[in-house]
Amino acid sequence: MFQSKDEVRRALAEQRYIATDEIATALFLAERLNKPVLAEGPAGVGKTELGKAWAAATGRELIRLQCYEGLDETKALYEWEYAKQLLYTQLLRDKLNDILANAHSLAEAADRLAQEEDVFFSERFLLPRPLLRAIRSPHPVVLLIDEIDRADAEFEAFLLEVLSDFQVSVPELGTLQATHMPLVVLTSNNTRELSEALKRRCLYLYLDYPSLEAELNIVRLKVPELAPQVARQAVELVHRLRRLDLKKHPSISETLDWARALVMLNADHIDQATLDNTLSVLLKHEHDVQRARRALGGMEMPVRDADTFTDEDRARRRPRFRPPFSDT
Amino acid sequence: MSIEERLVEFVVGLRAAGVRVSVAETADSFQAVREIGVMERDAFRSALRTTLIKEPADIPVFERLFPLYFGLDAPPMLPATEQMTSEQLEQLRQALESLPRQLADLLRRLLRGERLNPREMASLRAQLESRHAGNGHSDLRQQELQEMMSRLSQALMSRLAQLLSWLLSGQGPTREELEQIGQEVGLQRATHPYQQPWLTQRMLRAMGMDQLARLLEELLRELAEAGVEPETLQQLAETIQGNAEALSEQVSQFVGATIARQAAEQRPPPVQIADLMQRPFQSLSPREAEVLREQVRRLAARLRSRASLRHRRGKIGLLDPKATIRANLRYGGVPMEIRHRRRHLKPKLVLICDVSTSVRPVVEFLLHLVYELQDQVARARSFAFIDDIEEITHDFAEFRPEVAIKQVLERMPPGYYNTDLGFSLYHFCQEFLDAVDHRTTVIVVGDARNNFNPPRLDAFETIRRRAKRVIWFNPEPPVLWGTGDSDMYEYLPFCDAVHEVSNLAQLTEAVDRLLTA
Repeated sequence: MFQSKDEVRRALAEQRYIATDEIATALFLAERLNKPVLAEGPAGVGKTELGKAWAAATGRELIRLQCYEGLDETKALYEWEYAKQLLYTQLLRDKLNDILANAHSLAEAADRLAQEEDVFFSERFLLPRPLLRAIRSPHPVVLLIDEIDRADAEFEAFLLEVLSDFQVSVPELGTLQATHMPLVVLTSNNTRELSEALKRRCLYLYLDYPSLEAELNIVRLKVPELAPQVARQAVELVHRLRRLDLKKHPSISETLDWARALVMLNADHIDQATLDNTLSVLLKHEHDVQRARRALGGMEMPVRDADTFTDEDRARRRPRFRPPFSDT
Repeated sequence: MSIEERLVEFVVGLRAAGVRVSVAETADSFQAVREIGVMERDAFRSALRTTLIKEPADIPVFERLFPLYFGLDAPPMLPATEQMTSEQLEQLRQALESLPRQLADLLRRLLRGERLNPREMASLRAQLESRHAGNGHSDLRQQELQEMMSRLSQALMSRLAQLLSWLLSGQGPTREELEQIGQEVGLQRATHPYQQPWLTQRMLRAMGMDQLARLLEELLRELAEAGVEPETLQQLAETIQGNAEALSEQVSQFVGATIARQAAEQRPPPVQIADLMQRPFQSLSPREAEVLREQVRRLAARLRSRASLRHRRGKIGLLDPKATIRANLRYGGVPMEIRHRRRHLKPKLVLICDVSTSVRPVVEFLLHLVYELQDQVARARSFAFIDDIEEITHDFAEFRPEVAIKQVLERMPPGYYNTDLGFSLYHFCQEFLDAVDHRTTVIVVGDARNNFNPPRLDAFETIRRRAKRVIWFNPEPPVLWGTGDSDMYEYLPFCDAVHEVSNLAQLTEAVDRLLTA
C-alpha cells in the first residue's frame, strides 16, 4: 500500500505515466478508502492507460471488462459451461448407470441423481468472466471497467451491488466473497449520464487534455527519439487544433502516433508538406482535416518548400522595396 | 473552528450553488482529509474535489468556492507566549506582578491563551473605575499607572479589548461573533464578490483593527516600564502582529464565504428539465434552450440504446437456422443455444422542414435530434423551405449542429410571410424525388400554413406513393388545424401519422415511435 500520494505519483512515473497531483491523490485515496475511481473525460486522454499503469505500479494483475451496449451478467460475471457439463455427463455415463442401476423406483433414481448434482454445479463448471475473476482472484488485482457509459443502465445497476460489497451470489453455489479487495477504475466518455448512485460510490476524477508542457513531457517520455524542437512544435500544433471547432479533437494517443510518424519521416521540422501528409494521423474526419488546413493556413512555418506556396503566399511575399532605377 | 465544521460549511456552500452533495460523500471527504491532511494545499484540494464533485459542470463551482472557504493559506493564530523561552516568560511574569493586580491578572490570562467573557470584563471595569475614583495616591508613577489602567479598562469594554483578547490568546472570534460584526457592517445584504475587500475592511475596522497599533504601543510601553526586556517585547509584538494578519485573512474568508452563500441563495432555482420537456419550444428563454439542447443530446443517446435494446429483445420468431446449427456443433448438434437473425432496422429519412419563424424552434430541436441519431439513422437527407425548397444535408454533414442550423437559418431569413409549401413540394418532386424510395420515411415538419397558396396535393401524393411512410410533425395543437391559411386537413389523408410536437416530450415520443415502428 502506498504511503503518500507522492509515492503513487513516483510509482506511476516508473510505469511511464505522468500523473497530475489530482490523479495521484485520487488513486492514493481509492486504496485508503476502498473506493472505485470513476475517470471521466474526452476520449484519448489516458483514462484506460491510467488503469493499466496503476496495475503495473501496484504489481497487480489487470483484469479488464470492456463495456458495450447489451453487455449482461453472463458476459461480465460468469456463465455455466454447458458444453463441459454435457461432455462430463457423456463420459461419466457408465458411472451414472452404476449409481442408478439398482434403484428400485424412478423416485429413488432421481434422489440418487440429485445427490450427485453438486458435481455438475460446482466451480469446476463455472466459467468466470472478468468481474468474477477479479473477485475470486487469489492475488490482488486491478479491475478496469472500461467505458461504463456504453453499457445499459440495467448493467450499471447490477454493477452497483458488486462494487459496494465485492461479492456476488451464484444461485447454485451461494455467495462468493472477494478474496482480496480489487482496486477498481471505471472509465466513461460521458456519452450517457451515469446514475447518481454509481457516482456516489466512486471517487471522481475528471481528466482533461493536458497542458502544453504536460503533453510535451508525455511526448518526450514516450517518443524520446523525436527532436525536442519538433516535439514542441508538434504539441503546440495539436493544442491549436484542439481549440478549433472540430468533430473529433486529436487525443494524446493521436499526438503520440503523430510524433512517431514524424520520427519515421525523419522530420527535423514541421513544414507544410509534412503536415499535409500526416494530418490524417491526427484527424479522423475528412471535414476536420479540411477545416484544420484552412485554419492552419496562416500558420507561421519556419521553412516551406517553394512548391507548396500558393499564389496568395506569393502575393504576400512581394518585395517591399522597389527595385532601383525602375521608376525613372 | 474545526476542519470538519469548515468542511460542512463548504458542503453547504456547494449545495447552495447547485452542486448535489450527499451525506455519504461529505463523510468520504472527512475520511479523505484524515488520510491526506490539510498541510499540503493542492493535495487537500484534490481530496475534496475527488470526493465531493462528480460532474464536470460542477468543477468550476468548486474551484470558485474553494478559496473562499479555505482561503489563501491563512496562517493559524498562536498564543502570544508560545514562542518565548522560560526566561522570557519569567521576566514577563515579574513585569505583570508589578502591574496592578487586576490588569496583570487579565493580561496573564490572555497571554496564556484564555478568553475573557463579557461578564468578567464588566466586573473588572467596575473594580478599576472605583479604584480610580476613590483613592488619592500622590505617587506620580502610581497615578500614571492608574490612568493607563483606566484607559485600558475602558478599552477593555470596547471592541478593541476584545480584539486584543483575540490577538493575545491566539483564538479568533467565534462564528457567532463574526456573524454579529458582519451584521453591523451590512454583510447580510452583500451578494457580489467585488464587495469582499471593502466589507472585510469594514469588519476589521469594527473590530478596532485600525486602533490596534496605538493600543499595542501603549501595552508594550507599560510592559517595558515594568522591566520586560526589549527582545521579549519584540517577540510579543511580532506574535500579535502575526495574529492580526491571520485574523484579517480569516475575516476575509468569512466575508467571501458569506457572500458566496448569499449569492447562491439568491440565484434563480436551476432549470427543471422535467418541466422544460413539457414547455412549448416557442416559450423557451435562451438559457433554457441551451439546457434543452444538452438534454437532446442525452435523449438521443437514450433513444439509441433503447431502440437497439428493443431490436435485441424483439427477436422472437426470427430463428436463424444456419447460425444455430453452427453454434451448436460443439454440443453434438443438440440445439443448446438458439441463434436469431438480427433485425437491421436502419430507416432512411427525408426531412422536409419549414423554417419560417413560427416553426423554427421545433425544426432546430428536431435537426439536433436527427444529428445526434446519425448512428441510428444512417441515411438521412434534410431539406428546408420557406417559399422554395433547398437541400441542407451537406451543411449537416460538414458542421456541428449549432453551426449548421445557424448557417441554414441565416441563408433563409425569416420574416416575409411568403411561405409556399405547395410550390416547395412541387419543386421537391422536380429535383429531389430520387431521395425517396420504398424504404424512406418522409417527415414533414411544419404548421401547414400555406399562405393561401395552392397546396399541390398532387406533388404530396407523388411523394407519398414512393415513400414507405409519410409522417407529419406539426407544432400547432389540433384545434388550430384548418383555421386561417392552415391546410393541415388537406394533407392529413396522405399522412401515415400526424404528431403534434410543440415540446421536447412530444418530439421524443414521436421520434421514438419512428425508430421502432
